Amino acid sequence: MLELTLILLVILSIAALQTRSLRNAVIYLGVFSLAISFVYLLYHAPDVAIAEAVIGSTIATILYLVALQKYKIFTIYYRLQESEIEDTHYFSRYKLQLVKSLEKFCTKQELEAQIIYSLEELDEILTKHQYALIIEEHEEFISIYAHHENYMLDKLEFFLDNEPAFIRPYRIVKMEEIEGEVME
Amino acid sequence: MNEHSKLLTKTLGFVFPFILVFGVYMISNGHISPGGGFQGGAVMASVFICKYLIDPMKDVSLYRVQWVEKLALLFIILLALGFVATGLNAYFTFFLPYYLIIMNILIGLKVACGMTIIFYRFVYYESR
Repeated sequence: MLELTLILLVILSIAALQTRSLRNAVIYLGVFSLAISFVYLLYHAPDVAIAEAVIGSTIATILYLVALQKYKIFTIYYRLQESEIEDTHYFSRYKLQLVKSLEKFCTKQELEAQIIYSLEELDEILTKHQYALIIEEHEEFISIYAHHENYMLDKLEFFLDNEPAFIRPYRIVKMEEIEGEVME
Repeated sequence: MNEHSKLLTKTLGFVFPFILVFGVYMISNGHISPGGGFQGGAVMASVFICKYLIDPMKDVSLYRVQWVEKLALLFIILLALGFVATGLNAYFTFFLPYYLIIMNILIGLKVACGMTIIFYRFVYYESR
């Protein structure tokens, strides 16, 4: 029994290191704490086992999860033309509506929206900055650029389709395609 | 975590009093069975975490909890100094188990208050 649990501990710790999502790693650590408290019990240390089970697998896990929840920031770059910045009326009604919709989406997904208005070229933003979305406005539609592994994209599309206040046509471009264009 | 799962709310609401009773049992029987002030206090602090999961509302006065914690620390020091450091424990041997129980209760109170403060402080105040 003891050997089995020790092997399980090794497997769990490797799993916690190798997993891609942080949330999974936290859960693996919680299970690890529970297993190691069982090992303490087998070594005749029930006091330590209780403390480990309560603190390691309950309080620490929940604190980690809350911390992960808190530090989710959704960075949105809004690309503007230079003439739009000089013009004092560059916040057109459509822009405000779009920004409002995006903020609503972020609060719904428990993300914190950080909107940056930028004058830089698209390639510059793509290569230099950490971004979640890049928005570029054309005359008759809006382009939304995103990384192809961005898992919020489907939800965003669903949200924008169902948002009654958001009427402008838009297209979503995934970043891989852009890289292809640049390569050509 | 802000999505209110009905299943979680109902289950935790049912388990809530049992955790509290278990914590009290662990503290009061700490001197003869596994457990003790620290472990029992940690179990009781997890009650507050359950409360946060059920209903994330800030209605615990942290100031008051802090006050109770400081008072518990003061009593721990006073009791230890007054009973052990003065050598009274050699004469009043019948009082020893009661001394352990009182100490465990005080330590449990202090640990529960401290962990609650850490948790609530972290959840409600600490952001970027």
